[in-house]
Amino acid sequence: MNPDNLKYHKEHSWVKVDGNRVTIGITDYAQESLGDIVYMDLPEADSSVEVDGEIGEIESTKATSSVISPITGTIVKVNDALEDAPETINEDPYGKGWIVVVEMDNASELGGLMDAEEYAKFVEDNK
Amino acid sequence: MADTKIAIIGAGPGGYVAAIRAAQLGAKVTVIEDVEVGGTCLNRGCIPTKTLVATTEVYEKIKEAASFGIELEGGARVNVPKVMERQGKVIGTLVKGIRGLFKMHGIELIEGRGAFVDNRTIEVTPKGGGDKVTVKADKVIIATGSRPAEIPTFPFDHEKIISSDDAICFKEVPRRILIVGAGVIGCEFACIFKGMGAEEVTMVELLPRCLTTEDADISELMAKELKKKKIKLITNSKIEKVAVNADGTVTSFIEGGTEIVSDQVLVSIGRALNTQGLNLDKAGVNLGKRGEIAVNEYLETSAPGIYGIGDVIGGILLAHVASAEGLVAVENIMHGNVRKMDYRVVPAGVFTIPEIGSVGLREHEAHAKGIKIKVGKFQMRGLGKAQAMNELAGMVKVIADADTDKVLGVHIMGAHSTDFIHEAAIAMALGATTKQVAETIHSHPTLAESVMEAMEDVHGMAVHVPPQK
Repeated sequence: MNPDNLKYHKEHSWVKVDGNRVTIGITDYAQESLGDIVYMDLPEADSSVEVDGEIGEIESTKATSSVISPITGTIVKVNDALEDAPETINEDPYGKGWIVVVEMDNASELGGLMDAEEYAKFVEDNK
Repeated sequence: MADTKIAIIGAGPGGYVAAIRAAQLGAKVTVIEDVEVGGTCLNRGCIPTKTLVATTEVYEKIKEAASFGIELEGGARVNVPKVMERQGKVIGTLVKGIRGLFKMHGIELIEGRGAFVDNRTIEVTPKGGGDKVTVKADKVIIATGSRPAEIPTFPFDHEKIISSDDAICFKEVPRRILIVGAGVIGCEFACIFKGMGAEEVTMVELLPRCLTTEDADISELMAKELKKKKIKLITNSKIEKVAVNADGTVTSFIEGGTEIVSDQVLVSIGRALNTQGLNLDKAGVNLGKRGEIAVNEYLETSAPGIYGIGDVIGGILLAHVASAEGLVAVENIMHGNVRKMDYRVVPAGVFTIPEIGSVGLREHEAHAKGIKIKVGKFQMRGLGKAQAMNELAGMVKVIADADTDKVLGVHIMGAHSTDFIHEAAIAMALGATTKQVAETIHSHPTLAESVMEAMEDVHGMAVHVPPQK
């Protein structure tokens, strides 16, 4: 269910590693819990993010929720398409619903993340 | 004191309300007004802007029609002349209403500019020209109000650099507008212009947040709503210079280097008090430290028998405060100084989209006073009514005394919040606790239930908030 090639953070965000850059988004569990996403408060390119810190805020019909960064670094790309079509995060959370691409400060932080199996178990245990 | 003659300078929400109350109590009343009855509120402020907000709300709802299951054939567009025509009709109806009430109460209205000759005599220069009129009175109320404050380095030209007086009536929605000052007036106009279709609305604010008169959490929420509307909010910034260019555009230079080009600049940084031209010295009326007409708790000025109300006495610049002061001043005139003005419960409304209703202490004010507080919050989208209406934005924040549980302040952002804030005002006026408000049954499904839930949340007991881990 959760793609094997990704790593996962306990606050339900995922990373796809590509050299020293990672693409970040939220998991299927997160988008399902949130319900219909109506707006994403996107960060600016070139701003920095910190591990366990907020990247931006998602607003759904049910709640507002922070997107938590799995790693520390600088944002190099923002998925601006989400501005007019935030529901893309619901429709394709691991693909077109990506949120930012970040240049990592410290790749060793990836070691603190879960793989798909661990994440699935984590979600089950905390239900 | 049936034969008391009262002269009131200014027929705004302070003056005209005072006039009617005075007539009700049996006084002989003469009102002097040099522009139009209803003052700023009716003619240049509260009312005209609310007609614009109404049009904006309808336009925005039409754009959301599909989400309500309504299919439109063809689009909708804002017809500015018709919008202004409606605004004029609404103002006209209300002005007629006040003039009618004056007639029914036998209140004399002299239209012109009044100035003191001595502490019981006012000379009026009539609006339409003609001989000056002398008004003699036993008591006087000064209710001359305020006007938009301008920035001396770029004063109003009423065309490119405009005030709120100019902004309420326009020929077409500006394509790009820069608003100086992100206070109540600035934010309201930002929502109106962007809502009606302006391409670029930029706000520049000196202080660290917008709506500094509101609770900080409300400011933060409003900043998010402005961002959603693609209104650009630049805080902690000062405009050094504004240049009107040959091609009709306007360039604003922000300290630090940023330049913003727009079609107009709206300056909404505050109000200047109308104490000029009154010959106050001839009446013995002194001004205070901020240039306001100084009054005591009974609203009497330094000149016995002369009272001051509304914006011109500084204090809280709100129409309903002016009206409340008018009622108190008249009571004091008619019955001897019996009533002190009570400012403990003053609700306020911000007619942005979504609205804000607030009353009482802001959180930072409570901390500054050293009061131990508890805070309760409730998100509007947790309400059935909000979901059904598709008005999800906003929240209620309750500030309560940690020891007594009394409600100290309530801050609401959300649809109709300017109306249902009054439940909180009553609660505060009666010294109610959050428990008393929470135990009052609230109709379901209503937006007011959010207040009940936020009151419960002060003690972590809101039913519709997930339990905190």
